Amino acid sequence: MTAKPSHEDTGTTPGTEPAPAAKDTRNTGPGRLLIAVYAVFAISATARAGYQILTKFSEAPLAYLLSAFAAVVYLVATVSLAKPGRTWFKVSVVAVLVELVGVLVVGALSVFDSVNFPHETVWSLFGRGYAFIPLLLPILGLIWLYRRRPAPKQA
Amino acid sequence: MDAYFYIILVVGLVSSLICLIAGILKKAPNDTTILSVAAVELSLLVYLVGSIIRVAGGEHIAGEPWEFWGYLLTALLLPVGAVYWAILERTRWSNFVLAAVGVTALVMAARMNQIWY
Repeated sequence: MTAKPSHEDTGTTPGTEPAPAAKDTRNTGPGRLLIAVYAVFAISATARAGYQILTKFSEAPLAYLLSAFAAVVYLVATVSLAKPGRTWFKVSVVAVLVELVGVLVVGALSVFDSVNFPHETVWSLFGRGYAFIPLLLPILGLIWLYRRRPAPKQA
Repeated sequence: MDAYFYIILVVGLVSSLICLIAGILKKAPNDTTILSVAAVELSLLVYLVGSIIRVAGGEHIAGEPWEFWGYLLTALLLPVGAVYWAILERTRWSNFVLAAVGVTALVMAARMNQIWY
């Protein structure tokens, strides 16, 4: 019995499968969807923070700086997830963890201290204004990063 | 909400649905899914041309004009970027990327309508 070629299950031509050396990447399969959604959030968060800071910064400096911070986190997460290698993996882990802490802390503050956090950011109310995707994204991101973690260093 | 929004609502939802089903059926991006995203791009272009004509004809955008145009131009880049990203690696997951375009365009069109009126 010979093994059947199964190039139809990926839709790629045989021979273009990633070599073992290219294993240390996260921009393949489900990762591509993850990166695409991160990219959309990076763009929208950057645009929103830019708009808030340019037009009405004095109304709520803290909230709008938080918006800008969230935008930077999304940008770093998008780029680092798309890049191969161990260093970018670590950058991704840090960015996604910061994002998770950010959405949890800002989400909780906006619920329990709505007097001091009345202004909208991406993370307010756990990302309710964005269909809770900001809450879901870092969890899926961490699962994906764990599944595609680099192999342990050779001793 | 005006006709432009409803066009994008229908085209965007149909496109997302086609791409979602193709992804669930484990198909790589094909002519059907890519053309459905092209239809989203086309309906956004209709919005663009229609808006230019309306502004040229003296209609007034109620919100910030540059915010409206910013949304519209960003939305126009989305389908192009998504198709590029999807055909670099043609797996079922790329169809889920394409599926995100229609829904995102729909949300952005709703926001554009809010700004306009």
